[in-house]
Amino acid sequence: MIKVEEIKMSAEETGKWGMLIDQDLCTGCQACVAACAMENNISFVGEEDAGYGRTMHWIRIERFWEGEYPEVKMTPNQPMMCQQCGAAPCEPVCPAFATVHSQAEQLNLQVYNRCVGTRYCANNCPYQVRSFNWRDYERPEPLPNQLNPDVTVRRRGVMEKCTFCIQRIHKAQDKAKSEGREVADGEFTTACAQACPANAITFGRVDDPESLVSQLAKKHGHGVKHHEELGTLPSVTYLKGG
Amino acid sequence: MFKRLFDWLKQPLGLIAVGIVLLAAVSFAAYGVWLTQQAPEQPVQFPHNLHVGFGIQCLYCHPGAAKGPAAGIPSQEKCWACHNQIAKTETSLLLAPLKQAVLIGKPLQWVPVAQVPDFVQFNHRAHIAAGQNCENCHGDMSKQTVAENPQVFNMGFCLNCHKQVAGEDQAKLVKLTDCGTCHY
Repeated sequence: MIKVEEIKMSAEETGKWGMLIDQDLCTGCQACVAACAMENNISFVGEEDAGYGRTMHWIRIERFWEGEYPEVKMTPNQPMMCQQCGAAPCEPVCPAFATVHSQAEQLNLQVYNRCVGTRYCANNCPYQVRSFNWRDYERPEPLPNQLNPDVTVRRRGVMEKCTFCIQRIHKAQDKAKSEGREVADGEFTTACAQACPANAITFGRVDDPESLVSQLAKKHGHGVKHHEELGTLPSVTYLKGG
Repeated sequence: MFKRLFDWLKQPLGLIAVGIVLLAAVSFAAYGVWLTQQAPEQPVQFPHNLHVGFGIQCLYCHPGAAKGPAAGIPSQEKCWACHNQIAKTETSLLLAPLKQAVLIGKPLQWVPVAQVPDFVQFNHRAHIAAGQNCENCHGDMSKQTVAENPQVFNMGFCLNCHKQVAGEDQAKLVKLTDCGTCHY
């Protein structure tokens, strides 16, 4: 029996794929939210379930108020999605091993066919980015025609979250391999980054110092990773006040 | 009342009755299992063995397997391009549905046989490029008439081969046994 060596990420290391979000550029237009829903077959929960706070989004635009009323100031828009933590709090709590760390892509995976719906991962996620299929949400005709065939259509009772558009990663890798080369930087991007009209989202290899994400992060100099104090080693960097 | 029933069942005739009922139940269950293993009804009884026997390559009719995720089913125009040149098949009754479909331009509804569930993302190209032959998964088509599924495509079937192919190569093993390689 061959065992796969477990690769543990240390604090000095970066992951493989990473994202850079420039909050100064983000206008909060929600184009990324719509694009993500289209790309990843995310259900529309409808009015009633939305009232229960069961909306399903893999990315959302957060907005906070600073100061006391009436002297309030709005903080910059903050797109929030799964941070693809290097040491993810969601992973060790899953009793079914449905949320596991991909050793090959250094991403957090959600294996839908393993998920039994305990919702433990969502409760342990400090970013609150996981959404749960409380029902089999209806897609009236002709909406099923726009489903993305590369992404599983989730059923009732499973958890789901941002995958960094792993289907696009695989597609790009497959294409590159068929042409006998490596995946080039900027050859593909995630749905949210592609849709962003302000180019506030950049996606690419963070372990490659020559990639656009690494270059932009270096140029800006003081990017912030959320909840870094928890030791989650997130892969998404936020730029603000540059 | 139950005691009287048991007493009746204990006599030779009763035992035979119990045997018959058990036999009926088992054969009914076996029939049910057998039914699930049958190839579905196809619009044309396509003889794979004949076409493979003529030396036609799998990739001639299913070229998608070398190029992308889906192997694909040839369009009826492709079938007809050959068959309308062969006098025997042009008038054959067996091929009447095909001729009809081409003439009125309505596609034949083939029933897929080798399927994986929605949560499995399978890519033919990668497997062909890795040197796998069609028959490794689809069985020997030269012995089949209407397409049937020779083996259940379950995860053990896939993983066994993935592990074998990876061998001692750690990087390959990590990639080939990663959940995210097939499930997303």
